[in-house]
Amino acid sequence: MKDSKIAKYYPLIPVCATYLALFIIGESVPGMWQLVAMLAFYCAIGQAFNIFLGMTGYVDFGYVAFMGVGAYGMALSVERLHMVEGIGMGVVFLGLLLAVVLAMLLSLAVGAVALRLRGAYFAIATIGVNEGFRYLIEGTKIWGGSEGIVFYGQLAKALGRETASQVSTYWADVFVFVIAFMAACITIVYMRSKIGYALTALREDEDAAKVMGINVTKYKIIAFITSASVAGLIGAAGWALKLTNVFPPQVFEIHYTVECIIIVLLGGAGTLLGPPIGALVYGLAKYWLSVIIPGFQLFVFAPIILVVIVVFPEGIMGLLKRRWRGTGLGRFIE
Amino acid sequence: MLKLEDVTKRFGGLIAVNRVSLEIKRGEFVGIVGPNGSGKTTLFNVISGVYYPDKGKVLFEDRDISYFPPYKRAPLGIGRTFQIPRPFGSATVRENVAVGAMFGTMRDKVGVDESMVIADEVIERVGLQEHRNKQAGTLTPVEKKLTEIARALAMKPKLLLMDEAMAGMHPNDIDQMVSLVKTIAKQENIAVVAMVEHIMRAVVGMAEKVIVLHQGAKIVDAPTQEALHDPKVIEVYLGHPPER
Repeated sequence: MKDSKIAKYYPLIPVCATYLALFIIGESVPGMWQLVAMLAFYCAIGQAFNIFLGMTGYVDFGYVAFMGVGAYGMALSVERLHMVEGIGMGVVFLGLLLAVVLAMLLSLAVGAVALRLRGAYFAIATIGVNEGFRYLIEGTKIWGGSEGIVFYGQLAKALGRETASQVSTYWADVFVFVIAFMAACITIVYMRSKIGYALTALREDEDAAKVMGINVTKYKIIAFITSASVAGLIGAAGWALKLTNVFPPQVFEIHYTVECIIIVLLGGAGTLLGPPIGALVYGLAKYWLSVIIPGFQLFVFAPIILVVIVVFPEGIMGLLKRRWRGTGLGRFIE
Repeated sequence: MLKLEDVTKRFGGLIAVNRVSLEIKRGEFVGIVGPNGSGKTTLFNVISGVYYPDKGKVLFEDRDISYFPPYKRAPLGIGRTFQIPRPFGSATVRENVAVGAMFGTMRDKVGVDESMVIADEVIERVGLQEHRNKQAGTLTPVEKKLTEIARALAMKPKLLLMDEAMAGMHPNDIDQMVSLVKTIAKQENIAVVAMVEHIMRAVVGMAEKVIVLHQGAKIVDAPTQEALHDPKVIEVYLGHPPER
């Protein structure tokens, strides 16, 4: 019994191995850190978005807004609190906390309205959230308005110049790795609990799920808030802390939502290993194409993605999972 | 156990269910019969909570559940199957059935492990054990139907609503399924309400009581044999008797 309790979490092994391998490559091969950091960022957003898109089957086109408010959480924390005596690293942790809180509040507000809608209607309702937030900040001139927040100076004041530079060039990326791993843990815990079963049921057939006694709204909101909170953390670490600035047009750019969707669908929606695989394939392909045909990468990339999604509608891991079901490998795949 | 009092449901100007009152007792097997458009599905949806009645009350074990959402009715003991089987396709048969046990039972805290044990028991009873680990989407229609029945049974219902229970199935399969459901229902003292378009052999064979709906209203509510010979029923299905 005890053994099977642990065995349930075996699928975490390949995910951890992937992250660890990435991390080691980034640490040991000179000049690789930036590429690895980008891949880790894609892994993290894929893994975070998968908690919602993969498990519920709902597409949120405004997803980037959660990363955006997360980035603002970090920026605001550093900007407003850096002068507090002896705050040091505390300012960063408060920033992460504020990022989660802001993302949660926004997701609750969006979810309470939009999650009552289904399928395409939900997608349409969320499509303006990021743009709306961007214009809210720019128009009302809160949080620095359209000039954004540049806070390297304040970060340096709180942490000291050397630490600040290390935090933004190295630790921010490490945080992203940690967040990606955390998101994977959350995913598997959800999958193995009643939440996961409820989400699978409502993804497949919402009406049938309801008459089975599942409070579908509750479970959708759980998945939505969780996914949004992780996105907030990624925005705080992967954007704000790394760049030490936040500009509304950058952090509310719908392009990132689209990247999230591609990564999740490419890797396999609703699988655990799918998002990292999708992120690696997408990230590396994008990087490689931008090297060999700079400027034309999207032109080549878009048809490739179309073909892949038509040929493997379940994504790479969805396909492998079905093929390996019941074999020895199957235990490690989810 | 289940009581409908003067239930009316309108869609715009159309009265889909018109002042229907009925009572289902524990362990009873009732057939709800009526031609296409007679309001059977709407009535089912009012009982399971997909729609709320415009007028009248739905009482379950003397509790007014007229405005309970579906997910609150299921744990009280109301299970249902759909006209076209709707198992959760990507999940295995076992997981499908376990979902029923997990969320649909009256005991509040059925964990994942416990629900799997319940699922295995129920799967064995309906004879699906070989298909336990198959994805429900890959099953044959009959197996899907059985999965759906197993999923509803895992909820330990007191009342099982079967929508177009036997539509589109081979007579042999119908016979098997009927006797299976009947055996389990008798053992567990489950009331079964099966809805069918035509007075089929299967329903006549198992139902103790038949309720006939016509244009949203209940026209007959009688023991099966009596209902079969009721002139109003004959008229609904065959039209007016020829004059002279």
